[in-house]
Amino acid sequence: MKKFPFQKRTLALIAILVPLLFLFVYVALRSGPLAPVSVVLATVEESEISPAIFGIGTIEARYTYKIGPTSAGRVKRLDVDTGEYVKAGQVLGEMDPVDLDARIRAEDAGFKRAAALIDEAQARKDYAQTQSSRYNLLLKSRATSKEMAASKRQELQIAAAGLTAAREDLSRTAADRKALQAQLNNLVLISPVDGLVVSRDADPGTTVVAGQFVVEIIDPGSLWINVRFDQTHARGLAAGLPGRITLRSRSGEFQTGRVLRTEPLADAVTEETLAKVVFDQIPEPLPPIGELAEVTITLPKMAAAPVIPNAAVHHINGQAGVWKHRNGHLQFTPITLGESDLEGHVQVHKGLKSGDQIVLYSENALKEHSKIHIVDHIPGVTQ
Amino acid sequence: MISLAGRDIMHSWGKFVFTGMGLGLLIGVTLSMAGIYRGMVDDARVLLDNSGADLWVVQKDTLGPYAESSSIYDDTWRGIRSISGVADAASITYLTMQVRRKGVDVRAMVTGITAGGPGTPGWPPYLIGGRQITRGHYEAVADIASGFKLGERIKIRRNHYTIVGLTRRMVSSSGDPMVFIPLKDAQEAQFLKDNDAIREQRRRTTENSAFNRPGVPGLLDAIIASQSVNTYVNAVLVRVGKGHNPDKVAESIRRWKRLTVYTRSQMEEILVGKLIATSAKQIAMFLIILSLVSSAIVAFIIYTLTMGKIREIAVLKLIGTKNRTIVGLIMQQSIALGLIGFVVGKITATLVMAPIFPKHVLLEPLDSVFGFIAVVMICILSSIVSIRAALKINPAEAIGG
Amino acid sequence: MTEKGITIVGLKKRYGSGDTAVDALKNVEMHVAPGEVVGLIGPSGSGKSTLLKCLGAVIEPTAGQMMLGDDLIYDNGWRVKDLRALRRDRIGFVFQAPYLIPFLDVTDNVALLPMLAGKPNAEARKQARELFKALDIEHRARAMPSQLSGGEQQRVAIARGLVNRPPVILADEPTAPLDSERALAVIRILNEMAQKFATAIIVVTHDEKIIPTFKRIYHIRDGVTYEEKGEGRSFE
Repeated sequence: MKKFPFQKRTLALIAILVPLLFLFVYVALRSGPLAPVSVVLATVEESEISPAIFGIGTIEARYTYKIGPTSAGRVKRLDVDTGEYVKAGQVLGEMDPVDLDARIRAEDAGFKRAAALIDEAQARKDYAQTQSSRYNLLLKSRATSKEMAASKRQELQIAAAGLTAAREDLSRTAADRKALQAQLNNLVLISPVDGLVVSRDADPGTTVVAGQFVVEIIDPGSLWINVRFDQTHARGLAAGLPGRITLRSRSGEFQTGRVLRTEPLADAVTEETLAKVVFDQIPEPLPPIGELAEVTITLPKMAAAPVIPNAAVHHINGQAGVWKHRNGHLQFTPITLGESDLEGHVQVHKGLKSGDQIVLYSENALKEHSKIHIVDHIPGVTQ
Repeated sequence: MISLAGRDIMHSWGKFVFTGMGLGLLIGVTLSMAGIYRGMVDDARVLLDNSGADLWVVQKDTLGPYAESSSIYDDTWRGIRSISGVADAASITYLTMQVRRKGVDVRAMVTGITAGGPGTPGWPPYLIGGRQITRGHYEAVADIASGFKLGERIKIRRNHYTIVGLTRRMVSSSGDPMVFIPLKDAQEAQFLKDNDAIREQRRRTTENSAFNRPGVPGLLDAIIASQSVNTYVNAVLVRVGKGHNPDKVAESIRRWKRLTVYTRSQMEEILVGKLIATSAKQIAMFLIILSLVSSAIVAFIIYTLTMGKIREIAVLKLIGTKNRTIVGLIMQQSIALGLIGFVVGKITATLVMAPIFPKHVLLEPLDSVFGFIAVVMICILSSIVSIRAALKINPAEAIGG
Repeated sequence: MTEKGITIVGLKKRYGSGDTAVDALKNVEMHVAPGEVVGLIGPSGSGKSTLLKCLGAVIEPTAGQMMLGDDLIYDNGWRVKDLRALRRDRIGFVFQAPYLIPFLDVTDNVALLPMLAGKPNAEARKQARELFKALDIEHRARAMPSQLSGGEQQRVAIARGLVNRPPVILADEPTAPLDSERALAVIRILNEMAQKFATAIIVVTHDEKIIPTFKRIYHIRDGVTYEEKGEGRSFE
């Protein structure tokens, strides 16, 4: 009873002050710049990696048929619409002939007239032939003058030439008519291939100039992807390499494909290399032309070598290296990097061997004499 | 001689400890304030450190890229790369924007980094999780302060990005977490309009008969395509080769490329001296106010405690206690209060306030030492009023009248 | 320790100066021998308090002499240098209220005085405990003042007044808050202590219960003391 009150108070005081002091010391040493840096270690492992390169591209059709009239005119009818499949030789539409029929009739009349003119020339030639033969006989019997006979011979020559001219005029008229007929036939827009109508750019009544297209048809079997790869990452890109294609609209699933060719011309402005990638199997339903696609090209596997995650690579004064951990001390070890894959693994050619412990993640930038605290994962990072 | 102050504290320890804790919270706020300032300066330094650059090449006569907007052609780096002394040059874009994640906007500084791999200027120098970007598109490394998780899909403007890596302490000078994405995506994001705007622009272009000429098929498409091209970046980060003087390299870039170039120290000057100068002044004001409030509180508490002991002090004086002992009693109590306050303050600042503050709070040990000295000084000064009052107490008061 | 107790001759105290001057003490003559307990009685305004303060070396008299044993304390304006040490070492105080230091336990409340005089803690506490037996507060030695009854507190206060074995103890209304039984007990203790330690004790009081116990009483009226014989009644 005598000593109790005082002791209780002392105990309470100790109960408050001691944890407070303990916390204070902990706080002073364990936080702020004096605190050790939490690091996550990784072990270098020998493994083979499959490097890959990644690019994005747009779906394009390899063959595009832009169909339109050969001469300016007005669209009369258009039988197909966007999204329809057409067969080779199928009539897609027709241009309005306007005055073409009348012109053909005029040509027909001209033809008949030319035929009549041939008859006339023939008659003239026949008459001139007869006259010329008669005067020849007369000359032999000296019944006419030499001059008269020569005149009749010349008339015959003129009549023959007249006939030839009339004949040629007839073929010209026939050819003219044929040309008009061809033009009339060309007013029909015909699909050259089996394909898909992707656009219909003019409707009946629209006047179009020569060369302007009315319907655009693609060959669905010829879809490919025009892929752009960043030049720094495009090493090893070659025709025939397999790849995985993920369409923007179908993220999560992928199609297989391969590189058809790499373009000899790169894009100098965007610093990208271009390549065409084809599907192994054209996806159904057909992806829209112009859709974005992500393409991952798998390069041949590299022989096994020490592999580290790319997060472990640090650069000090331009020198690539890793923080090697040995007995609680850190040492910056310069390394030579080799191939890497898209999952962030990098092969190391020089500087590390498998089994070495290196710093993978750190809470702060590391220095040679940093105090470290090894953890499973940095606080706050959910696995 | 027993310690009168100690005995008094022991006697009314509850009052003391709780007052000390209250004071401690105030000191904690004060320390946090100093920590926020240090954190801002540190953020600026870390921002510069993490960029890995020795020189910043920006649009002529701007304070870019952090303090002012700057835009230069994205092929500028090629010309800079060829200048003697430049070991590495990489374009970079910075844009503070809203990043969407599951329908929630997070304000972040989206940083476009040149493809190339770790070590390229602008890349995050170290990670705390995941991996660095390996694909040239649609991958992102985000700061953990953004709240993004590994593997999550985020939306920046029109594109979706997968978080592949996490960083720590990578924030803009205004404290927004950084999100690193490939440069090309970032360029697109920075200058990309929303779909409505694009459609509107297309419509306007289409309706302009000068662009949409019936006799020239393809002209309209070409014009629309040319409108959406973007070939600008905000800055070029330059790493200077070993043995070259950054100032000289900067000078030659300035001279030949007619661009503005900042060295590390100039950039720090811009960030610390200009960008956060106002905030720093605010914090300094807060620090002063908090210090004054703290000293007022200490003075008030000590004065109250002393006035509560007038009789005892009078008795002590009457029975012959030296003034020194009485001064010691009051001052020791004041300092003890300060010590409890400081310890509590330091703990709360570190364990409670620093983690919950949205901004980085850097508690420098040296600041704590200064803080400690300041607390002790404030306590000594605050006790002066009480000491004067105590010394004025007439021992005769103990004797009835 | 002197055989002579406390002696006061012609003590005067004037507050202020010129026209507003007030003579609080005009002529005080007192002598208390060691071992003697005397009463000091006077109505309010009589200069009782002023006299007590002069005796307690808190204020200085304007004129007159005060001697503690053989030592001259005041002599017509002259005074010993260190009144604080004088109060600490040679004058014991017992007040109307006990005025114990609330944050010190009973032992340390008493031991504080020898400690202030520079004695080591252990020795000072020993010195304090020696008194407790005589005052019957041994069992309360480790208690805090707030845990004591009024009578116990007053006894601790007496112990504090005695601990340095001062030649003189000033008791200011020591019995005011106590009932008559306890008041008499206090007076008995004071008498015992005076005997035991050969201390001169001056009890300032107007407590009718205890006035009859004094053998000698000083009345003070208008700053002048008059000595008279008390009843010297037994306080049992």
